Amino acid sequence: MNDIILRVENLKKSYGRREALKGISFEVKKGEIFALIGPNGAGKTTTLRIVATLLSYTEGRVEMMGLDLKKNPQKIREAITYLPEEAGAYKNLTGIDYLKFMAGFYAKDKQEFDEYVERAVEIVGFKDRLKDKVGTYSKGMVRKLLLARALMTKPRLAILDEPTSGLDVINSLEIREIIRSFVQEGISVLLSSHNMLEIDFLSDRVAIIDKGKILEIGEPELLKQEYSAQNLEEVFRRLVQ
Amino acid sequence: MNKFINLLKKEIKEMITFQIIISLLFTTGLFYFLGVIAKSEMEKVTTEKDVYIVDLDSSQESNVLISNLSHAGFNVNLLEEKDKSMAVEYANDNNIDLLIVIPEGFGEAASQFKFKDIEAYTYIRSFSISSSAGSALVEGVIREINRYISNNYLKEKLPDIDPEDLKNPIKSKDFVIVKNKMAAGSAAEVSSIVYSQSIFVPIILMMIILYSSQMVLSAIALEKQDKTLETLLTVPISRNYIVITKMAASGLVGLISAGVYMVGFRYYMSGLMGNIPSSGQASQLIQQLGLQFSPNDFVLLGISLFLAILCALGLAIILGVMVEDLKSAQTMILPLVFLIMIPYFISMFSDINSLSLPIKILIMLIPFSHPFIASQNIILGNYNIVFYGIIYMFVVFVILIFTAGRIFSTDRVLTVKLRFGRKRPTND
Repeated sequence: MNDIILRVENLKKSYGRREALKGISFEVKKGEIFALIGPNGAGKTTTLRIVATLLSYTEGRVEMMGLDLKKNPQKIREAITYLPEEAGAYKNLTGIDYLKFMAGFYAKDKQEFDEYVERAVEIVGFKDRLKDKVGTYSKGMVRKLLLARALMTKPRLAILDEPTSGLDVINSLEIREIIRSFVQEGISVLLSSHNMLEIDFLSDRVAIIDKGKILEIGEPELLKQEYSAQNLEEVFRRLVQ
Repeated sequence: MNKFINLLKKEIKEMITFQIIISLLFTTGLFYFLGVIAKSEMEKVTTEKDVYIVDLDSSQESNVLISNLSHAGFNVNLLEEKDKSMAVEYANDNNIDLLIVIPEGFGEAASQFKFKDIEAYTYIRSFSISSSAGSALVEGVIREINRYISNNYLKEKLPDIDPEDLKNPIKSKDFVIVKNKMAAGSAAEVSSIVYSQSIFVPIILMMIILYSSQMVLSAIALEKQDKTLETLLTVPISRNYIVITKMAASGLVGLISAGVYMVGFRYYMSGLMGNIPSSGQASQLIQQLGLQFSPNDFVLLGISLFLAILCALGLAIILGVMVEDLKSAQTMILPLVFLIMIPYFISMFSDINSLSLPIKILIMLIPFSHPFIASQNIILGNYNIVFYGIIYMFVVFVILIFTAGRIFSTDRVLTVKLRFGRKRPTND
């Protein structure tokens, strides 16, 4: 019971008459990578945004470390980090200034602040460019900077929306390795992707979501066995058909 | 580190970019350059003008007339040409701007009080400010000639009477009354001095408000466009801090920018208008009428200006919530521009107090109207209107900031959008 970081129960979200989420439920355990996979418009980003305290929800319950999200958004923000899809960083700040700026919101003292920044510098891997403005960085560098920002505080839950979206193979692999290494240190990850091969490699458990409903939850290997599929894409196709 | 200071520092760093500094310096330099040109043009207008004269009469009367023109401040140059067409050609070839031709028989006719027309040739070589002074110069020369001839005639016929008294038998002595204070002087003079002293207030105000509001809108638009706002909204910091730091940074940068712009603008205006002469007599007149700002008046005007800026920033924050990117931010600034331009133009070219009641109420409902009329009301001692304006703006600001805080604390900050006729795909 104590191993559960996030519990989502019968979550519903409507934008006017349109139902984006039609009652989804799942749990994320400590030290687990839990992935939401599905096509565009399935409800992945909406779910992540709700858990990240950005969006309100129409019905259901979201609990983070036993705290009700609606009642304790500020406390929950202290324990999570969120990486939006295709997000940028402040272009007029240098990389190191950006990391310091973000560390300033989480660190309780100078020692913790220095620890966060140092860890972020290790994650990004391009120390020599950290004094350059973010506006001069490539897409891959920005994504690594943002990932470093999301992981430097070792949050209880890192929420990553399409973490490798638009990146080349090398950058994608590096980012996956970084995420994996941090999970081994005890943080939990809730991520979304429509790249099912990536999820297959990265996640401990997946929820296949389509049209605001979760179709199936399980470990990738077990799902593949259950549906006699070579990969998660095939599992998804069979579920939808 | 204090989270508020951390956020404020970031906002300021994001706003004061190299491009902004270059743009500010360029605009200031441009204004300065325009001011130098305007000043040189105005100097051409105001400096002593050359008048070239061809005296085809060479009579005693014409000689006296020429000498009188010299005494009246004109720089008289006599041409040797003895033919009008040659003189006109000479003037054309030698860039002479004004040629006066005194016709043959002028003196003889004048002695019989039957005058011959003097011909004035003005050469237009450009359409600059200085070239337009040509006609004024002609009028000045002819006026002086007429004054000389008529005064001479009157002196001859009525030697005991001063010709000026005869031409203007009744003179007026002007007094101006403002509130209960009276002083000798003309209303036009007082209006001119007060106007010249307060002309910069609405211009400064308009620039600061527009600049700061644009800054806020752009800051929010950029945050939305780059999705940095989503990240910022999930960090453990009060949403009100986000609103307040954006306003504070924009206000500060707007203030600095407006100050730099005004330095350049002042160069331009002083070049165009010249330094307004403030003679001892004029100062005395203003003092006697109590039309000066006391230190308390400046504080009052400052509070009024400051609250107007805060109201604009509050409104800009709310408008900023509805923008999606920098492009839509440019459109969204328009309602604010209208709200600022209406009182700006009315205060520049009219008097809000003299408008009909319904229109006056409508204008007064715009919070930005109050500082535009504050300086005039302070000078005239109408403090109640200024105080009511300050209270009204404070109430509007509280409502705006409360609304902005409410919007930022809900998901409307991400979901409210004005689409301007185009649709964007929804998120997953």
